[in-house]
Amino acid sequence: MEKLLFKDIDEPGLNTIDVYRRRGGYERLRKALAMPREAVLNELLASGLRGRGGAGFAMGKKVSFLPKGAMDVYLCCNADESEPGTFKDREIMQKNPHLLIEGIIIAAYAAGANKAFIYIRGEYVLQADILDAAIAEAYAAGFLGENILGSDHSLSLVVHRGAGAYICGEETALLDSLEGKRGNPRLKPPFPANQGLYQGPTLINNVETLSTVPFIIEMGGEEYAKLGVENSTGTKLVSISGHVKRPGNYEIELGMRSRDIIYGLAGGPPDGRKVKLWFPGGSSSPVLTGSDEDLDLPYDFDTMAKAGTMLGSGAIIVVDDSTSVVEVAYKTAYFYRHESCGKCTPCREGTNWTLKMLDRIRKGEATPMDLDIIASVCENIMGHCLCVLGDAMAMPVSSMVKKFRAEFEEEIERRRQEADLASAMPEPELPLIQGAVA
Amino acid sequence: MPRPEIKMITFSIDGREVQAPENTMLVDAAKYGDVEIPVFCYEPKLGQPVGACRMCLVEIEGIPKLQTACSTPVKDGMVVHTQTQRVHEAQEAVVEFLLLNHPLDCPVCDKGGECPLQDISFGWGGGRSRFVEPKRHFQKPLELSPLIAIDRERCILCYRCVRYSQEVSEDYQLVLQERGAASYVATFDGHPYVAPFSGNIVELCPVGALTSKPYRFRARPWDIEGAGTVCTMCPGQCNVTLTVRDDRVLRVLARDHEEVDDGWLCDRGRFAYQSFHVDERITSPLVRVDGELRPVPWDHALDVAADALKRAGGAVGALAGGGTTNEEGFLLQRIAREALGSPHLDSQRAPVDRRSLLAIGDPGLQATVPDIEYAHAVLVLDTEPVDEMAILDLRIRKGVRRRRVRLAVASARPSALDGNAALSVRFAPGGGPAFAAELVAAARGEAASDDARAVVDLLRGAGEDVVIVASERVGAALAALADALGLRDRDGAGLIVVPSSANGRGLREVGVLPDAGPGLAPVARPGLHAAEMARAGAEGELTAFWLHGVDPLRDLPYRERWEQALDRATDVIAHAAFLTEGIREHATVVFPVEAYAEKDGTLTHPDGRLQRVRPGIGLQGRNRYGWQVLADLGRRLGLELRVLTAGMALAEVAAAVPFYAGLTQDEIGGRGIRWQEREAASAYPRPEGLPDLAAPTVREGAGLRLGTFRSIWASPEVEHSPALRFLVPRQRVEMAPADADRLGLGDGQRVVVSANGSRVEATVTLRHAVPAGSVFLQDGLVRDAANTLTGSVVEIRPAVTSEVAG
Amino acid sequence: MTPPYDPGDVVEVVRAPEPGGVGGAYRAFGETLRGLKTTFKRFVEKPVTVEYPEEKYPVYPRFRGRHKLHRFEDTGLEKCVGCSLCAAACPADCIRVVAAENDPEHRVSAGERYAAVYEINLSRCIFCGYCEVACPFDAITMGHDYELSDYDRSDLIFTKEMLLAEPLERTPLRREGE
Repeated sequence: MEKLLFKDIDEPGLNTIDVYRRRGGYERLRKALAMPREAVLNELLASGLRGRGGAGFAMGKKVSFLPKGAMDVYLCCNADESEPGTFKDREIMQKNPHLLIEGIIIAAYAAGANKAFIYIRGEYVLQADILDAAIAEAYAAGFLGENILGSDHSLSLVVHRGAGAYICGEETALLDSLEGKRGNPRLKPPFPANQGLYQGPTLINNVETLSTVPFIIEMGGEEYAKLGVENSTGTKLVSISGHVKRPGNYEIELGMRSRDIIYGLAGGPPDGRKVKLWFPGGSSSPVLTGSDEDLDLPYDFDTMAKAGTMLGSGAIIVVDDSTSVVEVAYKTAYFYRHESCGKCTPCREGTNWTLKMLDRIRKGEATPMDLDIIASVCENIMGHCLCVLGDAMAMPVSSMVKKFRAEFEEEIERRRQEADLASAMPEPELPLIQGAVA
Repeated sequence: MPRPEIKMITFSIDGREVQAPENTMLVDAAKYGDVEIPVFCYEPKLGQPVGACRMCLVEIEGIPKLQTACSTPVKDGMVVHTQTQRVHEAQEAVVEFLLLNHPLDCPVCDKGGECPLQDISFGWGGGRSRFVEPKRHFQKPLELSPLIAIDRERCILCYRCVRYSQEVSEDYQLVLQERGAASYVATFDGHPYVAPFSGNIVELCPVGALTSKPYRFRARPWDIEGAGTVCTMCPGQCNVTLTVRDDRVLRVLARDHEEVDDGWLCDRGRFAYQSFHVDERITSPLVRVDGELRPVPWDHALDVAADALKRAGGAVGALAGGGTTNEEGFLLQRIAREALGSPHLDSQRAPVDRRSLLAIGDPGLQATVPDIEYAHAVLVLDTEPVDEMAILDLRIRKGVRRRRVRLAVASARPSALDGNAALSVRFAPGGGPAFAAELVAAARGEAASDDARAVVDLLRGAGEDVVIVASERVGAALAALADALGLRDRDGAGLIVVPSSANGRGLREVGVLPDAGPGLAPVARPGLHAAEMARAGAEGELTAFWLHGVDPLRDLPYRERWEQALDRATDVIAHAAFLTEGIREHATVVFPVEAYAEKDGTLTHPDGRLQRVRPGIGLQGRNRYGWQVLADLGRRLGLELRVLTAGMALAEVAAAVPFYAGLTQDEIGGRGIRWQEREAASAYPRPEGLPDLAAPTVREGAGLRLGTFRSIWASPEVEHSPALRFLVPRQRVEMAPADADRLGLGDGQRVVVSANGSRVEATVTLRHAVPAGSVFLQDGLVRDAANTLTGSVVEIRPAVTSEVAG
Repeated sequence: MTPPYDPGDVVEVVRAPEPGGVGGAYRAFGETLRGLKTTFKRFVEKPVTVEYPEEKYPVYPRFRGRHKLHRFEDTGLEKCVGCSLCAAACPADCIRVVAAENDPEHRVSAGERYAAVYEINLSRCIFCGYCEVACPFDAITMGHDYELSDYDRSDLIFTKEMLLAEPLERTPLRREGE
């Protein structure tokens, strides 16, 4: 398969402008600037490129939603890659920062934005430093600043480091954080395209999405759309982690069979183990099982949605049969409870409650009735929150409870007995196993 | 800025067709169809909805997900369901979530019985609990400030208080700390939340997380009665509801009146009710016997007072201020003029002559309070709203924040509104009238200073609707300025003149002025104004003073001269609530004044709205109604006033003031009525031209120019309210760092400020915004008040004890 | 005197039997003895009259008499937190509660607040027991004491101290089956 984003990724020194330009860098910018804005936008629309951050909204459409007017348009690159299991943007930014910068400049040109920000998560210190250096190089080379390459397009680009909150990857929370406020999601509508940063129209896209833009210009939108399958065009970076032999980032063409990704590219689970479940799109996606039916699903946006889950950020986390599903659910819930911003009720209280119930299961203090409560609480969170963080916990946890209910019940029983055993230990004259009936 | 036109649309809610104004939020629109949608975080007064509590989820046809009704504007043809299974389940779930961590201590909680969370749990909750884990715990109860208790366990994190602090009062003190289920409301660095408008968060809180300390555990909702009245502590005249139990006022709540207060109160208005029920209050007539004020029967006190006034004949100086009602002011001036033959009456701090008052009070030039919000530009001229008419401060902030009103501030002292202003200019202390005259010149295109031209350019550039909020002392130039800016007879534009006392406008319209009678009619023999009275008293020309709600030593300038005058006077008759210094030392007869909670009468708001002050509690101690005391006095002085009820007193006022003609208590009602909007307004006397605008120039001297201001907290009510006592200001001198450096002074240092041999002690407060050459001292203090100084140019040197102070 | 009803045109007069003879004797003694039969039957029973006030009439356990306020047995703190719910529930409006904040050093009740004033005007109380039902802390219960007469109405306003004090057990409880 032809690689785009990862074509030169292992080229030494690709993060410097010289190597990048030697490999054809910034030529696509030159091409784009020679085209009228509308033509660039049309290429983006024609490419059918869907956002790679998680929601999968068509990027061209997003750009076309920006209102025309006198207001300042902003472009924000969402580099707050905080979804557990996702580490593809890190590699792009670390190894090929100029690709992202070039994409941003082209996208800003299409959107009519003169100010762009890269909101990068605080933990990416190395990547932020590399980006800063690359931006300085780009300014020096005249790709950023006033009248880029003699055109009428001007752009200033700033890297803003977050302080490490998951919620700041949510676009409106990102904007609040960028404005210097507490990073809390805003009510939508108005959407950022209408009222975003500093109340101005704002285009927000993921690192991978923006990095794909130069290739669309290079190949042409129609040509790019031929890659992948219908409605899921192009290539996608997949971050595979968990119980696989070769974890890492892989570039695939969308529509590839999931089994080929997990077993083919990543080598499958360690010998003697079976895939128990896998998250197809980061820890916030409902899980799929290790059944042949699920593993044979083509990996694209629509199929995943049809299977009741989502492609999300393209982070596949594989869990094999050595791990208890209770622990997976607990870890997932723990993460989202910790990262809930606390603004809206269902997420704040729901994640907290779910975690407490899962904790009781782990401690052997639960009954199978708690599974019904967990399912009902997750049900009550889903679709009722201000942003999708609540759903991000409720979806995987409820899918696990639904698909692995038998195992949950078994675990509840086993741990209850263990706990009773433990509490019974000091007094050996008591029967060792008690309370077998709930 | 024209107000948005309201278009009615039809939408369907729960199967019924309902008419509602377009683009109102569904929660409000539903009320037009008598459908209640429960909310916690939604409060339109706080600005844009945030949709945080998720209580108001409803189903809208055509939208797959449930929508928050608080943030969805209603559109024509929208079909909304609030009673479907889905909506019920979602709302039940949110109530269940909210109650997870909410303690069940309703019997102990002050909110119990008037708690939205209780109501909504009862109305929309599932009535069951599936939560068996421990709830979250915080240390409680804690003081958020000496006035407010915070109970974080009860908090449902609806954000109302935080939004209030950040978007309404703009003090930016309250924030949310931590995140997720661990979040809690706090001040940024743990400092107490002390601000002029902090008490409003108590009323905003939908649970018992924020409660009033003074009201703590005093009563439950079924023990109390609400009594609507109007606060008389400043010209803002906010509408309030008094919480009354056992004939005592236990709490003051806002009575939302969009045209007056927008539903907010300042902390003085909210907490100073405590002074109604303290032992220090005068609740019996007092007469000085052997140098000491002693309680006496009413008849005796009235006789003594009548004899004293009779003895003084025409040489009586009468002053009215404070919460004096229109009726009291009117009766006072009638007795003074008709029974005593004395023309010496005043109700103003700084003299403004009749012709000027006539011009600035003209109905064609009056703006209303909501106009501030909708104007293109607002000019705040020589006044500090937060101190002089507190509630306007919030209104101006609202206009700037929500409707992008362009704000210009022109004042001597740096203003609290500077941060919101598009332009702030400073002039020398006392230079208000002079600067206004320059503004007039600039507006007319004549030669003027750069500052004045910049202000006029800003106002003109913003649009036609300009509201000028100015102090009364600026005088005639205001009318000229309004005319020059073309504000006459313009809806939504004009003047709001802030008087020096709570009912300043009413008192001048009923004739408590040296040169004008009721209805601002000219008088045959003009009397002396307040400052001249002090001089005349000191020189022995006036032998008696009659003080209604005023203590000249506390409230008026020229303290030294007033001390001499009161000292020399044979008799001082005072109507007072507290024995402030001037009353305690000099009064020969003291009549108790009712607190506004006991009063019956009318007030006139600075924008011309007549409002009723209605008794919420019975008369305390041996108090009598003010109009009754004056009527009794009048009778003893041979003037039959024919006043047996407050309504009859109002009828007398309405008969004497042509533009109040026909006013009755019923017509004023609970929301008040602007006299400019009544037919009788056409009887307003025609303006008679303006006096020369060339205001006296500020004297330039070698020393620092002294400006004075009176803090919102400088009042006897604050001093006598236990909860507010910590706010009683002490004298401090605000000065520019440059001046301090030159004089070798540092922040917090004790200094002596002196002028012409008079001196006060103060603490240096450095403010970068103070222009070099100006210093500011406070008025209205018990000790070291600015009016002790006899000159306007001062010297400052370290106090002898400066080494230890700091 | 006019009869209270209209007897109509025909008035039938029922006459008593002639005096003397068997009928007369029966009339003189028979009916009397029959009446006395009940008397003689009861004659041997104990009297049912209760010699009140020397002897008190026993009441059922759920009899609603004078109220009592309670303390926690272990800590001695008052159970009442002054929430005023009893006052809200009272249909006769005879309860007055004024709450105050507890001083952590000298606690009166277990919660944040306590009843500084707790008064029941027993001359208005209708002994409905709603206060007991309303109380969330079981701080007030209805006792058995029904001897509440006094010489002065104001003495019937019971203060908190009186209600908290262990009442004189003047009223016997009815034994089972009694």
